[in-house]
Amino acid sequence: MSTPAKRRLMRDFKRMQQDAPSGVSASPLPDNVMKWNAVIIGPSDTPFEDGTFRLILQFDEQYPNKPPSVKFISDMFHPNVYASGELCLDILQNRWSPTYDVSSILTSIQSLLNDPNISSPANVEAANLYKDHRSQYVKRVRETVENSWLEDDLEDDEDDKDDE
Amino acid sequence: MKVKILEWKSFATWHWDLATSADDSGYVEELCGICRVSFDGTCPNCKYPGDDCPIVLGSGCTHNFHLHCILKWLEQESSKGLCPMCRQIFTFKEPEQTSDVLINLKTLIDGHRVMRERFQQGNEQEFEAFGADQDLQMA
Repeated sequence: MSTPAKRRLMRDFKRMQQDAPSGVSASPLPDNVMKWNAVIIGPSDTPFEDGTFRLILQFDEQYPNKPPSVKFISDMFHPNVYASGELCLDILQNRWSPTYDVSSILTSIQSLLNDPNISSPANVEAANLYKDHRSQYVKRVRETVENSWLEDDLEDDEDDKDDE
Repeated sequence: MKVKILEWKSFATWHWDLATSADDSGYVEELCGICRVSFDGTCPNCKYPGDDCPIVLGSGCTHNFHLHCILKWLEQESSKGLCPMCRQIFTFKEPEQTSDVLINLKTLIDGHRVMRERFQQGNEQEFEAFGADQDLQMA
């Protein structure tokens, strides 16, 4: 059944297909337009460079008047990402506006990667290393970047098994 | 040659007269920023464009929205009564003929204003209470 939220999400999808911002991609699940898979590529010239970080976006019928819940599936080491993968990002909470769409949400998260907000850390260890021991911070982030590639490989293996 | 008109059909086109953006660039946004559908189309809940699904113009910020779209947003407490585009307090110019939906919009905007004022007063009272404590200590 088509609802206002679903119609708007189909428009978001069209926009993602026609002019996706660089380094992000997203598409709804084939059987559920309210749930999206997304990938953010770590921006170049940052410790996150070339990482393929996967996220899930869950929308409800209140969208776009309420923000979706957004969660990293990939392991993240970032001052504003909780261990659960959930994000602490103002535009997904009290600064949400119904003029945002999937494309602008993902662009905001992408720019958050190299521009963390240290004043409200979701991961205190990451925030402290970012402030005081930058080289260690970078090392930990690089580990998550490498893990993000492994996850992709794992999934490919699973696909191979299905084929057998 | 004589032409005899047997039958004629008239056509008309229409287009909303939209406000141009405030920066004088002459750029006119064609899509409602909330539902991303053309202003000449309808909000997601309406079937027929035009007077049944009107456009409302923010008088402070000159941002246009489908009336039904901005209503849904301002119904959210989290909207704080702000324009979704520029976060200014959303107000609109009342047209001469008013309708129930416009009255709803006005009520919502007034509601947000009351909330804001109450919040501000609350802050001032706290501040006064804090001042009073200090006086006590000094005495």
